[in-house]
Amino acid sequence: MINKTRKHKLESPKQKHNRHKATEAIMILDKMKHDFKEPPKAMKYFYDLFERVHCKNEPLHSDKVKVGTMCIQVPSEIIYALDAVPLRLCNGFYTNDEIGSDFLPSKACPLVKATIGEFVSNNFSDKPDLIVSPTTCDQKAKSGAIIEDLGFSVYDMEFPRTKESHESREYWRRSVRKFTKDLSADLGKKITKKRLKKSVMQVGYAQHLYHKLNVLRKNIKSPILGIDMFLVTNAFFFDKIDKWIEAVDVLIKECEQRVEDEYDCAHKRSPRIVYTGSPPIFPNLKIPLLIEQADAIIVADETCSSNRMFNDMVSVDEWFVNDMIDGIADRYLKGCTCPIFTKNEDRKRRIIDLVKEYKADGVVYQAFAGCQVYEMEQRSVLEAMEKEGIPIIYLESDYSPSHLGQLTTRIEAFVESLKNRKRKAK
Amino acid sequence: MKYFAGIDIGSTAIKVALVDESEELVGHRISASGSMFYKYAKQSLKELLEEFSIDEKDLVYIVATGYGRKLFKEADENISEITANAIGARAAAKGKCEIKTIINIGGQDSKAISLDSDGNVVNFAMNDRCAAGTGKFLDVVAMNLELEVDELGDYHFRSKGTPLAINSTCAVFAESEIIGLLGNDNSVEDIVAGVHYSIAKRIVKLVKRVGIKENIYFDGGPALNAGLVYAIENELSKEIFIPEFPQITTAYGAAILAQESYGYEKEEE
Repeated sequence: MINKTRKHKLESPKQKHNRHKATEAIMILDKMKHDFKEPPKAMKYFYDLFERVHCKNEPLHSDKVKVGTMCIQVPSEIIYALDAVPLRLCNGFYTNDEIGSDFLPSKACPLVKATIGEFVSNNFSDKPDLIVSPTTCDQKAKSGAIIEDLGFSVYDMEFPRTKESHESREYWRRSVRKFTKDLSADLGKKITKKRLKKSVMQVGYAQHLYHKLNVLRKNIKSPILGIDMFLVTNAFFFDKIDKWIEAVDVLIKECEQRVEDEYDCAHKRSPRIVYTGSPPIFPNLKIPLLIEQADAIIVADETCSSNRMFNDMVSVDEWFVNDMIDGIADRYLKGCTCPIFTKNEDRKRRIIDLVKEYKADGVVYQAFAGCQVYEMEQRSVLEAMEKEGIPIIYLESDYSPSHLGQLTTRIEAFVESLKNRKRKAK
Repeated sequence: MKYFAGIDIGSTAIKVALVDESEELVGHRISASGSMFYKYAKQSLKELLEEFSIDEKDLVYIVATGYGRKLFKEADENISEITANAIGARAAAKGKCEIKTIINIGGQDSKAISLDSDGNVVNFAMNDRCAAGTGKFLDVVAMNLELEVDELGDYHFRSKGTPLAINSTCAVFAESEIIGLLGNDNSVEDIVAGVHYSIAKRIVKLVKRVGIKENIYFDGGPALNAGLVYAIENELSKEIFIPEFPQITTAYGAAILAQESYGYEKEEE
């Protein structure tokens, strides 16, 4: 020790990591709570939840087997049916991004870097017992091996890169069947018709609630901000599903009341935005925050951390185990609009549909620098929007808190241009 | 007895250090740079000599350093603050630990210096952006929070919640961030801790550019702020050495150099 009289002990690596995470978390929550009109009271559950988990590292699932998922493509219905809890591990912390940078190329995707960073720090509020890594995008597929090298048990789940063909559908169905069998053997739990049906119904009910809440945003006076909505859907990554359902139920009732009262959480002339691109994951909600701070409102999104997680439900012909598993497989392949697929007309269609249904004035397309597939698909989406006469802005960003000035200027200018268009259209 | 002086004319303060023939620190003086560096520097030196009743004739060699060093015409020699800082740091920690890395936060800049085992400067880095993360920045923060700069350390340790980050690298934007945080009813203590950690993170990035080798020495006025010291230690996950008089390390180094130069000159004669 250099200073013999020191009063304050140095932080341990875990304490330091926790402090970094807590600072990031509290900064965004602080802005969400205070920078806008009064958020719905029911949002308190979600603000507190994120504070508990990310600032206080509070575990939520101590009594359960935890299956970490590296992507939206891992069927949570099957995990729940085996009495385990799925935890989506896609990470949004800049501090983890910095840690992960040592393990990946400098131009890699910040989300992937941050996810690796969380494993390197090995500082989970709920530590996963097993990791399922679907072979979706290159960077995610390859990070499975890095995580395994860090001493975690990783299961690669094969996923096709085309979705129209009969072969890919069969291939994926086989992959899901195999996953079910392997996980069941690994956990020593048998999958039963009753249990699987129950979990399909429960996840389906959560999806139903999401839709019920989401359609309220079609109102010209939207009862809830986009950034709050992202928090609600992000909570589904890790929250206890029954608690989440309860909290969303309360939130819906409050929002319905707001609609009845014609309460507008934005302003009269706030442009309405559809958000698409790389997923905003707490606490990296900076672009949605900037959009809404610039007096626009996000009324719908097409991202895998939100809408895509809930959009398509499992459709089952017969409630037999095998039929349900195939139905589940189809939900995750056919409904998916991720740009990893060779062709992706569905995604453009969905964005256009959302713009029309939610009476949006424009689209914000955000790609993480290093998220190649979103960067590559940008051009064709921009062209498709142009054809439809839908204004769109393309932004590239990462997790770092710098460059906020430039992003703000671009977003503000876009929002202003939408306001002008609206005014002239009248 | 002969005496030797080092004068460090910085952007914010003028530091004068006096050593004797055995390189022992006799006395020092810190005064504001103000608008007339030359005049104030001369005055400060004169006062220091008077304080220790040293005859001007016995002051045989003066080395000036700091960014105003060229304005001090009476100096026998002038030298960059990087070299002077390195010499001063090694000497101030002598007998306690061997210094390999120096962090210096001045009034308007910050530096990281890497030394080899002989005390030679092998690499150094300076902040490339304005005044963020410097002493001036702390002044602005204290002013916004209606505190005195020397209260910041205590406030840091009283923080009970999560430190609140200041993301702007610009002192002007940081000011508006702080005002925003205050407006949202956040505690002054958490803001102070957040400011310290934000500066600490920036400093650690700077140090990483030159490489972190122990032991690490921290000087400049902000080293008096125990909260900032603790924040930097935590960000580095390493203890750092704080000298008894953190503000005068560079002046002390210049004074030691004055003594050495005088010795060489005598030898040559």
